[in-house]
Amino acid sequence: MRETVKLISMEGFEFVIDREAAMVSQTIRSMLTSPGGFSESKDGVVTFPDISTTILEKICQYFYWSLQYSRGKETEFHIEPELTLELMMAANYLHT
Amino acid sequence: MILDYIIMGGACSRKRDQQVEDILSRGVSGKYSKSSSSKWLATSLSRSGSDVKRKNGECPSLMELCILKIQEDVDRYTKFSDLPRDISQQIFDELVYSQRLTLKSLEAFRDCAIQDLCLGEYPGVNDDWMDVISSQSTSLLSVDFSGSDITDSGLVSLKGCTNLESLNFNFCDQISNRGLEHLSGLSNLTSLSFRRNAAITAQGMHALSNLVNMKKLDLEKCPGIHGGLVHLRDLTKLESLNIKWCNCITDADMEPLSELTNLRSLQICCSRITDIGISYLKGLNKLNLLNLEGCRHVTAACLDTLTALTGLMFLNLNRCNFSDSGCEKFSDLINLKILNLGMNSITNSCLVHLRGLTKLESLNLDSCRIGDEGLVHLSGMLELKSLELSDTEVGSNGLRHLSGLSNLESINLSFTVVTDSGLRKLSGLTSLRTLNLDARHVTDAGLSALTSLTGLTHLDLFGARITDSGTNHLRNLKKLQSLEICGGGLTDTGVKNIKDLSSLTLLNLSQNSNLTDKTLELISGLTGLVSLNVSNSRVSSSGLRHLKPLKNLRSLTLESCKLSANDIRKLQATDLPNLVNFRPE
Repeated sequence: MRETVKLISMEGFEFVIDREAAMVSQTIRSMLTSPGGFSESKDGVVTFPDISTTILEKICQYFYWSLQYSRGKETEFHIEPELTLELMMAANYLHT
Repeated sequence: MILDYIIMGGACSRKRDQQVEDILSRGVSGKYSKSSSSKWLATSLSRSGSDVKRKNGECPSLMELCILKIQEDVDRYTKFSDLPRDISQQIFDELVYSQRLTLKSLEAFRDCAIQDLCLGEYPGVNDDWMDVISSQSTSLLSVDFSGSDITDSGLVSLKGCTNLESLNFNFCDQISNRGLEHLSGLSNLTSLSFRRNAAITAQGMHALSNLVNMKKLDLEKCPGIHGGLVHLRDLTKLESLNIKWCNCITDADMEPLSELTNLRSLQICCSRITDIGISYLKGLNKLNLLNLEGCRHVTAACLDTLTALTGLMFLNLNRCNFSDSGCEKFSDLINLKILNLGMNSITNSCLVHLRGLTKLESLNLDSCRIGDEGLVHLSGMLELKSLELSDTEVGSNGLRHLSGLSNLESINLSFTVVTDSGLRKLSGLTSLRTLNLDARHVTDAGLSALTSLTGLTHLDLFGARITDSGTNHLRNLKKLQSLEICGGGLTDTGVKNIKDLSSLTLLNLSQNSNLTDKTLELISGLTGLVSLNVSNSRVSSSGLRHLKPLKNLRSLTLESCKLSANDIRKLQATDLPNLVNFRPE
């Protein structure tokens, strides 16, 4: 079975995604891999009290897009202009 | 390497160390002596495409994608000040890079607490931009205004940006003494630059006297500053002073520098100073770099002073007034790494005194009256990487003294009397990257000695008498990035030996009047070419179609061929989008 993790948005919405996809974010990667540090590394659940559902969804899409890209499928990643600024704040936090 | 430096210099950053001085590039290589176009290519390359797209292959980060998105449609954003400062900084940098920043889009950056505004050479920058720029207030650390239309009154608003560390006003010809006055309170400034400003005078330089934290001051090509250096007397932290090509500078201007004992770099090219002026520098024991190029009144007598400067590593004496007399003092300058003695009336007997300078990495003897016997004194300079012997009396007999210099990366033997037999002495110098053999006595036979030099990246055979058979020896020089063969003896047959040199970015085959369209067909696989010259040949308009695959081509020169500017323009429109410079035009 593929390993998954759960990302929870500000509004409490849960995204269950492949661990591999989540690891695209340097911040989530260190949360999930730091030995004994974060509780996230045990439970595989990360809560983002500052990231809205819309933005977190977009970020999950980016994770999968990035995996595809690194496997050679270089498509365009669409970003709605009205999301850009908020998305940047999240990307900054997630080192993505 | 030098090309890299020029590209880096195009961008700006407060943090980036740009201490590589011009003396280095001048001292190390004469690569640009003939093809000034390469220099132009480098600067124009620095602003093409976007920061993000440059990293081909690597997956762009979400941040990069967002920044690109903003850049594509910047006018819909009115306010970035809610973003963390480092993000708005990144957006700003990308907009500058892609040339999307306008006065209108600048407004969104009001109060963003941005630290660095690199607007050097950016089109349209004027006083109207100052309001948003100064709103960064005490966050602002560096601004590059070079080439802008900022005026004296525009500088008033910088008074509140009290944490500014670095300001660049190069080529801002609307700034005068009055503007300088507005900067006098910015005592955190460590770097200030006013290149090519004719309006600044000694009186205006009074404003600099308070800037006691100054480390780097650049007043290159400011012809009115004579008498003004007295105001620098208290800037004891000064480490670098550039007053190149301020042809007003005299001995009296040197006296105020005598107490600036932290100076590491001093550039006084083309001034009126004499050996007496130099004598004021004798206490500057941290001085590492001294550039006296073109100081026609400076003679070997100044070595009395220079020998006291034991830290001196870079010394440029090009076009001074040195003769052999007094040169014995050179032997004391044992820490020199780079020495430029080009265009002085020195002979072999001066070279005797250089033989102990075994730390030398670069030696320029361009146009000196030296010959074969003198080169024996260079044979112990095992660190030597670059040697410039252009326009000297050096011939084949002298080259044997160089065959042990295994670190040599660059030799210029252009306009010497070197012949084919001498070139064999170079065949063991496998570190060579750049070789200039633009000399009439070099022929096909000589090139056979070069086949072992497979590391060569630049080979100049401009005036050498090379024919088709000679090019056989070039086939294995797979790393060649630039090649010039313009002696007239080449035909399409010889070009067959060049067509597989796939690293080539610059190819000059002009003056070979027998080359035809076949040549263009042969080189159509050299897709890395950035610059191509096949002037004075039988190339015609119908051959141009072979150039279509050369998508990287930025410069194309086909003067005196059977085609018109319009033919090239058509090709540019349909197939060569990167072509920015072509002849005929």
